[in-house]
Amino acid sequence: MEDQTPNRLDMDLVRQKLADKRGPAYWRSLEEIAETPEFQGWLDDEFPHRRTLLEIDRRSLLKYMGASLALAGLAGCRGMELEELKVVPYVKQPEEMVPGKPLFYATAWTLGGVGLGLLVESHEGRPTKIEGNPDHPGSLGATTAQTQAAILSLYDPDRSAMVLNDGDGSTWDAFMDAVAAEFSNQKAVHGAGIRILTEVVVSPTLKAQLDGFLKVYPGARWHQYEPFARDNAFDGANLAFGQPVEAVYHLTKAKVIVSLDSDFLQDGLESVVLARQFAEGRRKLTAEDMNRLYVFESQLTCTGATSDHRWSMKPSSVHAVATALLQSVRSQGAVSPPKELSGADFNAVVQDLLAHRGQAVVIVGDQQPPEVHAIGHALNVALGAVGQTVTYHEPRAAHAVHTGRDLKSLVDDMNAGKVDVLVMLGGNPVFDAPVDYNFGEALKRVSRLRIRYGLYEDETTDACAAVDGGHSWHLPATHFLEQWSDTRGYDGTATVAQPLTAPLYDARSPHQLVAALAGDGAPGHDLMSDGYQIIADHWQSSGHISGDFDKGLAEVLHAGIVPNTTLAPRVVALKTFDAAPPSTTGFEVVLRPDPNLHDGRFNNNGWLMELPRPMTQLVWDNAAIISLKDAETLGVQRGDVVQVTVGKQTLAIPAFPQPGHPVGSVLIHTGFGRTKTGSVGMPTQHQSLMGFDLYAKTVGVDSYVLKTSGAAAYVTGATLTKTGQSETLVSTQIHHSMEGRDIVRAGTLAEYLRVPSLNPDKLANPPIVEQGDLDTGVPTETPEQPNIDMYPEEIWTTNLPQWGMTIDLNLCTGCNACITACQAENNIPVVGKTQVMKGREMQWLRIDRYYGGADPDNPSEVLVQPVACVQCEKAPCEPVCPVGATVHSHEGLNQMVYNRCVGTRYCSNNCPYKVRRFNFLDYSNLQFQFTEPATLINKIYKKDGVSLLKMVSNPDVTVRGRGVMEKCSYCVQRINDARIEAKKAGQEIQDGAILTACQQVCPTKTILFGNIADKKSEVFKSRSDERAYRLLEELNTRPRTSHLGKVRNVNPAITAQEGTA
Amino acid sequence: MAENQQLIEGNQTYASLDTVIGDVVLDQRRHKLPWLTTFGIASIFALFVLPLTLAWLLYQGIGVWGNNIPVGWGFPIVNFVWWIGIGHAGTLISAILLLLRQQWRNSINRFAEAMTIFAVMCAGMYPLFHTGRPWVAAYWLLPYPNIMAVWPQFRSPLMWDVFAVSTYFTVSLVFWFLGLVPDFATLRDKATNKFAKYAYAIPAMGWRGSHRHWHRYEQAYLILAGLSTPLVLSVHTIVSYDFAVSIVPGWNVTVFPPYFVAGAVFAGFAMVLLLAIPVRALYGLKDLITMRHIDWMAKIMLTTGLIVFYGYNLEVFYGWFSGEKVETALMQWRFYGPYAWAYWLLIFCNGIAPQILWSPKARRNIPIVWTVSFIVTIGMWLERFVIIPMSLMRNYLPSSDRMFIPTFWDFSMFFGTIGFFIFMMFLFVRFMPSITIFEMKDLLYKLGADKKPQSDAVGAGEAH
Repeated sequence: MEDQTPNRLDMDLVRQKLADKRGPAYWRSLEEIAETPEFQGWLDDEFPHRRTLLEIDRRSLLKYMGASLALAGLAGCRGMELEELKVVPYVKQPEEMVPGKPLFYATAWTLGGVGLGLLVESHEGRPTKIEGNPDHPGSLGATTAQTQAAILSLYDPDRSAMVLNDGDGSTWDAFMDAVAAEFSNQKAVHGAGIRILTEVVVSPTLKAQLDGFLKVYPGARWHQYEPFARDNAFDGANLAFGQPVEAVYHLTKAKVIVSLDSDFLQDGLESVVLARQFAEGRRKLTAEDMNRLYVFESQLTCTGATSDHRWSMKPSSVHAVATALLQSVRSQGAVSPPKELSGADFNAVVQDLLAHRGQAVVIVGDQQPPEVHAIGHALNVALGAVGQTVTYHEPRAAHAVHTGRDLKSLVDDMNAGKVDVLVMLGGNPVFDAPVDYNFGEALKRVSRLRIRYGLYEDETTDACAAVDGGHSWHLPATHFLEQWSDTRGYDGTATVAQPLTAPLYDARSPHQLVAALAGDGAPGHDLMSDGYQIIADHWQSSGHISGDFDKGLAEVLHAGIVPNTTLAPRVVALKTFDAAPPSTTGFEVVLRPDPNLHDGRFNNNGWLMELPRPMTQLVWDNAAIISLKDAETLGVQRGDVVQVTVGKQTLAIPAFPQPGHPVGSVLIHTGFGRTKTGSVGMPTQHQSLMGFDLYAKTVGVDSYVLKTSGAAAYVTGATLTKTGQSETLVSTQIHHSMEGRDIVRAGTLAEYLRVPSLNPDKLANPPIVEQGDLDTGVPTETPEQPNIDMYPEEIWTTNLPQWGMTIDLNLCTGCNACITACQAENNIPVVGKTQVMKGREMQWLRIDRYYGGADPDNPSEVLVQPVACVQCEKAPCEPVCPVGATVHSHEGLNQMVYNRCVGTRYCSNNCPYKVRRFNFLDYSNLQFQFTEPATLINKIYKKDGVSLLKMVSNPDVTVRGRGVMEKCSYCVQRINDARIEAKKAGQEIQDGAILTACQQVCPTKTILFGNIADKKSEVFKSRSDERAYRLLEELNTRPRTSHLGKVRNVNPAITAQEGTA
Repeated sequence: MAENQQLIEGNQTYASLDTVIGDVVLDQRRHKLPWLTTFGIASIFALFVLPLTLAWLLYQGIGVWGNNIPVGWGFPIVNFVWWIGIGHAGTLISAILLLLRQQWRNSINRFAEAMTIFAVMCAGMYPLFHTGRPWVAAYWLLPYPNIMAVWPQFRSPLMWDVFAVSTYFTVSLVFWFLGLVPDFATLRDKATNKFAKYAYAIPAMGWRGSHRHWHRYEQAYLILAGLSTPLVLSVHTIVSYDFAVSIVPGWNVTVFPPYFVAGAVFAGFAMVLLLAIPVRALYGLKDLITMRHIDWMAKIMLTTGLIVFYGYNLEVFYGWFSGEKVETALMQWRFYGPYAWAYWLLIFCNGIAPQILWSPKARRNIPIVWTVSFIVTIGMWLERFVIIPMSLMRNYLPSSDRMFIPTFWDFSMFFGTIGFFIFMMFLFVRFMPSITIFEMKDLLYKLGADKKPQSDAVGAGEAH
């Protein structure tokens, strides 16, 4: 090996050889070079390239990720050093990096036009876990499920790794050289043929760069498009106020909240702070303090489940409700109630709104047409909410446009042949642009240069390469954890986002690309090190960082926020506007971004594919979600394929009858049915032996074929017909009724005040008035039966902390962030559709969802309950393990000893909560079947070489092998870490020092964890709450996790819950 | 009538007993096509299907079966309990009937004991291979001093199983072998083939039939019978504790220990009949395993079947009377759920079908008895299926409910063990005396049937 190592000079020669080539010749020469011993030696020694990435040995990879490794790319920068002085950690300086102790760095990411401040945990320079930044006003320490899963995308081996030129491998330098010629041609015409298409840009720096680009090329245009950008809100604000203002809600001040088809508690990164604000209003359980949520929605969402009153209706009906509310509020009384709810109920809602002027707010969902948004704004004005519960600001998007129309003008230009150079930064327009734009066809008219910059090679990449004429380039994008960037949070607070690692592949940040295209980069220019400089230069010139810039920037990076950067307020004046009701015929098809995959960008993320969607609990598929009545009319059951036809477009998709879904409406999530994606989204090519893993050709169905460019995000005039075929739809819950058992305790506020424990037996049977109470007339609740012990518990006699947890069901919205956080923290494998179908999903934490009420079409309540191992003091799993692999610690933890477990599964059988998960197959290693063919040959011959996916693992947690049982451990690794730190400091473990993964990411702070023997701890107080109960207490398991009952603040004037179509 | 029939028929003498029983083994031409065909098929299962299944299982993991969470135990445990249950008949016949001095046991006990050994062998494969990591389960379940200073967890019923099953196997094996020693000696003496002579001489261990030998033999045999007797009751009781000790609804039923033991005897006798009837017909042993034996075995089957049926009714009663929502839900699930067919088939197989045995005519009718035995064997398997996976499909938290669907490998291992069992049984029938020669001679002596035939009672002719 030694004698094969080339010296640096030869390396340059190699690079030069490669950089000179183009097209097919390039590959031939690469192969020629590949044959040479120097090249082989070079490959073996310093990996950088994607082809060898999967064979890299661990030491090299660690070196690579380290703070000071020279990143030697095939044609990339030479000798890049991640400047550790520039990356500023949240807690400690890197000089104090202790191997084994993670550091936390503040950064941020952007999704759907909103940024979220993050803290990312980094082990020896390798990011492993994303947390929220407690100092960021949009996060307050919490995140969403998608945010948690984003770390997996960083290590996705299917990511685009290499520059592609017309489908062949190439280099950035080659790219720069190639486009230099074209761009200089364009300079002559002031860039009239250049178009840049981005997603919604929030980054101030990118905006400035694009503006700068447009100055250099004044004839060029910059377009933005996202399939689920807030276009309707944009138009609605214009309609209502004449200017595209951004609404920022302040729900802590709201006593009455009306949601018009808005899933604000779960949808989008802003849901983190909105859920938190909403939850604050649910903590004090009195009629005066508690807020009330009315939801009028066209699908069952988390917001609907959490609401106090919910009416389900077709999306077009929301308009009528909104109009009626507006008229009523303006008239100080209920007028012309809509047919969707009874007159009495409507009156009650109106009275409630009127009684809480200035403390009420109306939130309209994105899929509603602009008219409804405008009505919503008018309602807020009429209710005096402006300035109180909602404030209006400059748009958060750096350059607010209606992205649908923006794309249309681009497509028109493309079709007219005006576009010579098309640069697409991110997005996947060939997949998700409205069908009537026919973006794929328009792309064929871009005849000279198509530059596509993205995280994955996808449909758009292929479409670009397939066009005759001109050239197409695919440029690998950096993941947000690999790039310097910036963004703005929900309230506008800016964050300068620092990278956690150097790019794993030959990728560049969008800032570097735009800078290069704008002419900052001459051929061969070193693009890499500019990433930091671009951001720093912008912020220096922005003036937001005062004083010594370097010091100021370090502080900004350290804290994760740039102070005083909230969105500037705007004064709004309501205009009169025309809000014609929408027409409606036939079925209404609502296309929403999948709660996990969003518009399809996370299609290759295994965690998100397998995360059960809220309410439906579907995994690995999308479906046509319809009401039970419609299913009956059509004669379909779950999984039966229906043909959804809208005009000329048609789609065959399995049906999923869903309680609480309105009649006449179909909900289909997008992001599935991709034809060019990684092996999670398209697993067929990885069939394993004996067919015990069966995958469909593509995961789910591409529902974008139904998305047209209409005003609303729902399509009318659809017909549904049964096809007679059926597919298997897999969900993680098959029984939805509590069957009268005491599982989730819930009640109205009045019931809570009467029976604080919300014990269903007590609610049904009023307590007997005790003798002593005849004087006061207040009935005493009979005390709960005290725990009777034959043997006193030793553990209470020690001074050791006794760990316990409470889960407040009153605050939980069912958003699934906790499940993904647990998966990330504890190295929980993804098992695939077939295994979930067999009942072998591996997530330690699950959210059960029960429907209540007599009418399955209209459940009177939807209850969610997170359940993980409740760490029973008298655990039934412990005495039945024959080898003693599950034992009890002195601190009250039920410990699962992986290396002792022989896998008899008796513990799982005996667990009444069924929270134990078993590795029936070699799941932890088989995860790589999603990226490498799970053939026998591969298993045998897969030798040294660390699959990149393993890098996402948390080194503090064992990866379990085949045949071993696992379950929630109260994040014992975090407990141990805190114990060690406390011991070093010579102190007791402070309350709040330990945050379990689920606790940390929960937006509403549902979960509390701590020492229940400490009477001053939060968890002790929560556990002593009257609402606290133990799940399945009658089995005498004595769980350490208590649940707190849910209280619905029902409006006493609303007697019957009516949800009509 | 039964009383008229003798326990030994056909004017047997000591010499004729040697021939009738011994020639089955010594004259290899007795084993014709039926033996070959059945043995051939069984070998395919035992030597190909079963090893392949086990190898695949070890290679891939127990995910090849249909188990999931919450149904952690599926076919493997069902089959385990089924096989162990089948083994109980042998020990009961050998040990308990010996202590109770039931002479009719003498012609069936060897055969039944062999069945027990092989059934326990089949059963024993499951506790090991059903674990997720059998390569450590093999020895971590055994209490040996080790450097980790970790003992097995003795409160677990699975540990009790380890002791129960291993004790059962060991004692049964020794008991069976002890009983075979004099017979091996007989065969050694009677064999003409040199190879056979040596083959039988080794296990015969120098038996000369001397006074002292017999004296020691009787003592040892009696002690072992005394050890085996409690095993009949305890082993399946302990197996039932796997379920009764848990909190799973449908499992923590107090009646399980006697119910399981009765069920074991039930299944065991069914299997004895199932095998003994063809063997006695094909190998001319009808004079020794007479209709009287069949009659009495059928009666025992009926009795234990009634106990088992009583158990079923009790379970339904508990489901209603306890008021436990979970129990009631489980009962409804059994009656009306997706696997209701299994439950009702079980009631038919174990509850209804054996009732025909009330009729003495039916008990004397070989096809009827054989059919009922076959039905009962299936029924007992279904009973374990209803108890084990079906109960696990319904839980305290309805959100955990899942379906259990067995896979190809579940069935292949099951049929593999059946093949293995038949494989071993047929080897046994071919190479070892299926009936205890000396005990039959002993019986002959006790019955006084070695005297010259008289006009009336003795030698009433072949029974059918």
